[in-house]
Amino acid sequence: MSETRSSLLRSTPFRLALTFAFLFLLAFILSGAVVYQLMSASLARQLDQSIKETYSLIAATYSETDKEDLTTAVKDHAQFSQDKDQIFSLTDSAGNRLAGDFTASGLPEGFSMFAADLPGVPKGTEYRAYSGTVGNSNLTVAFSLSETDDLEMIVLMSFGWGTLFISGVAIAGGAVLASRVQRRLDGIASTMDDVSHGRLDARIPLIGSGDDIDAVSAQVNAALDRLSALVDGMREVSANIAHDLKTPLNRLQMILESAADKTASGEDVSVELTDARAESQQINSTFDALLRIAQIEAGARKARFVDLDVGPVVETIGEVYADVAEDDGKSLSTSVVPDTKWYIHGDRDLLMQMLANLVENALRHCPPGTAIGLSVTGDGSHVLIHVRDNGPGIPAGEREKVFRRLYRLDTSRTTPGSGLGLSLVKAVADLHGAAITLEDRNPGLGVTVSFPAVRAPVA
Amino acid sequence: MRLLLVEDDPRTADYIVRGLTEAGHVCDLLRDGHDGLFAATRNAYDVIVADRMVPGLDGLSMIKAVRAAGIHTPAIFLTSIGGVDDRVEGLEAGGDDYLVKPFAFSELLARINALGRRPAAQEQKTALRVADLEMDLIQRRVTRQGQLIDLQPREFSLLEVLMRGEGRVITRTMLLERVWDFHFDPKTSVVETHISRLRAKVDRPFDVPLIHTVRNTGYSLHVPG
Repeated sequence: MSETRSSLLRSTPFRLALTFAFLFLLAFILSGAVVYQLMSASLARQLDQSIKETYSLIAATYSETDKEDLTTAVKDHAQFSQDKDQIFSLTDSAGNRLAGDFTASGLPEGFSMFAADLPGVPKGTEYRAYSGTVGNSNLTVAFSLSETDDLEMIVLMSFGWGTLFISGVAIAGGAVLASRVQRRLDGIASTMDDVSHGRLDARIPLIGSGDDIDAVSAQVNAALDRLSALVDGMREVSANIAHDLKTPLNRLQMILESAADKTASGEDVSVELTDARAESQQINSTFDALLRIAQIEAGARKARFVDLDVGPVVETIGEVYADVAEDDGKSLSTSVVPDTKWYIHGDRDLLMQMLANLVENALRHCPPGTAIGLSVTGDGSHVLIHVRDNGPGIPAGEREKVFRRLYRLDTSRTTPGSGLGLSLVKAVADLHGAAITLEDRNPGLGVTVSFPAVRAPVA
Repeated sequence: MRLLLVEDDPRTADYIVRGLTEAGHVCDLLRDGHDGLFAATRNAYDVIVADRMVPGLDGLSMIKAVRAAGIHTPAIFLTSIGGVDDRVEGLEAGGDDYLVKPFAFSELLARINALGRRPAAQEQKTALRVADLEMDLIQRRVTRQGQLIDLQPREFSLLEVLMRGEGRVITRTMLLERVWDFHFDPKTSVVETHISRLRAKVDRPFDVPLIHTVRNTGYSLHVPG
């Protein structure tokens, strides 16, 4: 994996930089070629024009009466061009040179190209020539191409150097930029590597520029935060499950062993069987509660949410548990303002179970004589359900912990219960977007679940 | 009754079939949803008991197909998922009841009996009568030996469920579902408390008790003997 990462050619940013540099160069070369073509065509045209002008100038000196003028003009021109840039030829109809630097033979009328070996110029210098008949002599004016070639060479050279320079800058710049991006990608990859090896506290370093990579990294970090919180929770829960299920499992095993012994000696085992059944039911209901909480937290139930009035739900719970409380030596009173509707968006079954758990929690952990109160209030934007008692309450330091799975106060370790009732309350509240607050009522505990209120559904 | 059981776990199936046979029912066991669908459409059963997770065709799809074929045999789903949505999904698929594994056999038997004897045509009864106990469903009045018994609305519903199932066992869970709409297991003695209140009004002032406790299972209302 590290080999792949270090291989520069496989890195996406470097590939992008390289591709971009290549495309840029291609465009530069193409446009350069077009410019070069246009320029050399224009140079050739200008050369032809100068040749033609010089030819016309010389030819204009010719007159029927004075043939010497033409000869003199050719001689003068030939004299001016010492470096043989411009050469001239004037021959009579038989091909004998009358004046000029050379004898043009075999050149067609009009423009042509030829290479001449003349004293004073490099061998094979190329010339562009214009030939024509003036009177009864042949005049040829030829200009060397060396000047045009020089110009073209300068342009080509500068173009070549430009290409080289740009390639260098593009590749080096691309490599620098690419390696910077690559370093950040490597950072992400190595963080994920750490995470996959179990180091859940590893986080992607942010450079704080707020760019897209930083934004994605921040999102990945947030996901990792949530993941590690979940894993921590799971670890704690697994440890608690192991502990809390081991106790009833051990008891179950002891009961069954005793039953097996009794059976061997022909004794009646009905007590053991009843006990074993009770233990297995306890284990089963703990698992059931764990599964339910997990499923509620998974949120699938939300698809079935409807707008409902919590008043009747609270009244039903109050009605069901009032007699239970009375038989238990406690009292439960319910106060729901009549003719007032408290609409929230939720699931009736889950709300029933949540309230039942809260009331049962109060019933189980309060001594006889405790008064429990159930009520609904609202402040316009929220519907508040209160479950209050005047029992022993929960110490301030423990209030957050009681919603954890399988958490039980030391004082309640000996009373029956799974330690899951309030976790389920929390899971249902979370699913409904409701906040739970615990308050000390001196004495007693006040639990308030605050649901976002919704407008009454249109009938 | 003739029952169809679709269950692929051999031990659970064996346990259920043995229990149902002992209870006097005839039980056809199939281990595959396709076979179950085939049997349910060919034979007349009184109740279908279907596990939700069986090979071939899953239980939900099987009952949906049975319903689509126009067969209205009551069906109970067995589920080991323990899900909060299972009940609703089961009812939507055309099931009449559901039971989460692991369950007590007495619970399953009580539910099969309750479904199987449901009158085919939902005739609207206006009054229920068990011995000298009478319930007027229209005026919502209960009398025993001609004396008016004053009941709270929930006590009335509780007595109604028991009277409709006269002679049969109604389990705690069935009462929680039918009377209070509780689809979870409360950790306090909700059912016991309310049954004891009902007994105080319906049985205690009279010589013959009608409400009987069935140990570890539930309650039954009938004339003793």
